[in-house]
Amino acid sequence: MGDFLISRLLSALVVILGTVCLVFMLIHLVPGDPVDVMLGESARPSDRQALRVSLGLDQSIAIQLSHYLKGIAVLDLGTSLHTKQPVTELLASRIPATLQLAFAALFCALSIAIPLGILAAVNRSGSWDWGAMGFSMLGVSIPNFWLGPMLILCFSLWLGWTPVSGREGLSSLILPAVTLGSSFAAILARMVRSSLLEVMGEDFVRTARAKGLDESRVIWHHAMRNAWLPVITLLGLQLGALLGGAIVTEVVFDWPGIGSLMIESIQKRDYPVVQGCVLFISLSYVLVNTLTDIVYGLIDPRISDGTDR
Amino acid sequence: MGLASAPLNLDPRYATDATSERINRLLYQRLVEFDTQSMPVPGIADWQRLTPRHYRFYLSDNVNRFTDGHRLEADDVIATYQHVLDPDNASPRRASLTLIESITKVDQTTVDFHLFRTDPLFPAYLTLDILPMGLLNKAHNFARQPVGSGPFTFYAWPESGKLILERRRDHQLIELLEVKNPTVRALKLLRGEIDMLQNDLSPELIGYLQSQTGINLQRRHGSNFTYLGFNLQDPDTGDPRVRRAIAHAIDRQAIIDQVMHGAARQAETLFPPEHWASSGDLTTYTYDPATSRVLLSEAGYDAGNPLHLVYKTSSDPYRIRLATIIQSQLKTVGIEVDLRSYDWGTFFGDIKRGNFQLYSLSWVGIRTPDVFRYIFASDSLPPMGANRGRYSSPSVDRLLLQAEAAGALQQQARLYRQIQQQIHYDLPYVPLWYEDQVSALGARVSGYKLMMDGNYDGLERVSIHHPEDSQHAQTAAAY
Repeated sequence: MGDFLISRLLSALVVILGTVCLVFMLIHLVPGDPVDVMLGESARPSDRQALRVSLGLDQSIAIQLSHYLKGIAVLDLGTSLHTKQPVTELLASRIPATLQLAFAALFCALSIAIPLGILAAVNRSGSWDWGAMGFSMLGVSIPNFWLGPMLILCFSLWLGWTPVSGREGLSSLILPAVTLGSSFAAILARMVRSSLLEVMGEDFVRTARAKGLDESRVIWHHAMRNAWLPVITLLGLQLGALLGGAIVTEVVFDWPGIGSLMIESIQKRDYPVVQGCVLFISLSYVLVNTLTDIVYGLIDPRISDGTDR
Repeated sequence: MGLASAPLNLDPRYATDATSERINRLLYQRLVEFDTQSMPVPGIADWQRLTPRHYRFYLSDNVNRFTDGHRLEADDVIATYQHVLDPDNASPRRASLTLIESITKVDQTTVDFHLFRTDPLFPAYLTLDILPMGLLNKAHNFARQPVGSGPFTFYAWPESGKLILERRRDHQLIELLEVKNPTVRALKLLRGEIDMLQNDLSPELIGYLQSQTGINLQRRHGSNFTYLGFNLQDPDTGDPRVRRAIAHAIDRQAIIDQVMHGAARQAETLFPPEHWASSGDLTTYTYDPATSRVLLSEAGYDAGNPLHLVYKTSSDPYRIRLATIIQSQLKTVGIEVDLRSYDWGTFFGDIKRGNFQLYSLSWVGIRTPDVFRYIFASDSLPPMGANRGRYSSPSVDRLLLQAEAAGALQQQARLYRQIQQQIHYDLPYVPLWYEDQVSALGARVSGYKLMMDGNYDGLERVSIHHPEDSQHAQTAAAY
């Protein structure tokens, strides 16, 4: 397990470094100049140049990248070109909201998807199955930018149960979490169903039933344990995406997360903030995927032992 | 108050976004303001023109103190302007002030400005918000902790999307809350989570809010100018017959009536008719598809050889919608338009590089006619100016020089009207409309005055009615 972890962490480091370098170069290639955004068109060339020098933008991309990487080593991600705030401060102000929304949406999705997927698999082609798959189809098809305002209209305006938007108290978390979690739940429910159906046809399940175990024990202790692997893969990918910022949901509900910060920064060509967001997102992905691999190992020790299945 | 975008920077030396500039007007005071005709009028100072290149400004006796307690004096004015004029500080406000040669203090309430050249419009450039010298020298972070002498004082900025100001005269707190999605902003107003919002609403939302009880919708003419720009170096759009054909093919009034629900008025030039330098006698390019087809035919285009153009716009959904309608109108006269929308940075970068045939944009908050030089002079190509369409007219260049050298505003106004006539004839832009200003107020709000340029000055007089106030009043009346 130790070797497995070390190799995962080393590859994670390479992935993060590669992502940071790639994005640093790409964002400098995108048309649009932060100096234009900051000074407007009326600025004199000498003023533009002065600002360019003061921001370090007059140097080659390689030199800028080396400065940036040195900064990362001491946790200095630079300052926003527009608000002049340190990027670490900006990220720190947004990360709690992102984590809160991501885990609330995940909780919401799991609470819906697991029972629904199991019910659909156990009652294959029955009414539960049709209902669950219908929900799944709807969940995948309805875009968040429509579902969000509809939920607001219903639960905030008509029923008055939750605030319309913003991040003030737990009640404000419900609608964004449901909006974000519903599409995730839809995908997850399908995955749970198909994965469970596949396992239910295996010999060991038939053996468990032949031993006289009751159906719930067969499903939870035998079938589900083996059906988890693809579900966990999907969970890892989705959680990574959630931590990367749910831009549409954040905008609809004015949720002050990383996703909206990154979009605003890209529009303003605020390079240091974009870089900071990318660093956070790549770290999140790598961390979640490493955790997924560790969980794989716990569920199926053959994976961490490196033995063939 | 719900805002479409949060302020970015409350330091007036560096703020460039419209929201920050509007909020800074509440936090700081400035030497000069504008009247409804955009003529410069005294703000916190009156002025005297001692010679064409020497102006004396007298600070008013009733200037507010800064919120740190000390009185706004000549030293503060000089320190603020000198900081902006210092090229090392790279302030975006510097460009409009470079005609200042020196600033000197006469006494604590009197400041002299000496200019490199004469310009009767000079007072109109002195709209910079004044900062306290003491804090300027200490490199205070005005961007996040503003200290000014305006009618409001900074109270708190707990998160980027929520700014709280305190009105100095009665300590009323006003929270400015970012709500990006316009539908959600309207729903928050209806639920009473915000009391007011202003602009950045689709016509459908305006109609919806108007139909709701308890919502007071205000409208007034605006001065923000929307136009369709041409690249005059392009072989197609460089042909004046093509530009006129396009102008005659767009039914602006139909768009205003049907799509914008009447919330705009047709434009003929950069300045609205009430502006002191506006040219009010320009001939309208009427909607006339037949004339448009004739012009296209003269330019060599017909059904067998249709004109193909690329029209660039930003990714704003409302702008895309308007562009789609223009695309459809141009199709009726045989012009095939390929519509392309880009994120702001890419779109604006392309426009500045001249990488376009057609584009649409708006000029926001324009006050002084020196902007004609900035937009239309042949030496104002980006990055030296905003002549994005590469317009070049010797007669306009000559008139611009004459206007700048003119000794009196009346003389300047006459010359700028001639410039507008020439530009209207050459048609580097198709003038589209001036969009109205719209605000929606909840039932608790009264006394808010909507401003023509969309600023938030109305917050100085706004009243919030608390239900307990009326209860107290009733109780008092009973006694």
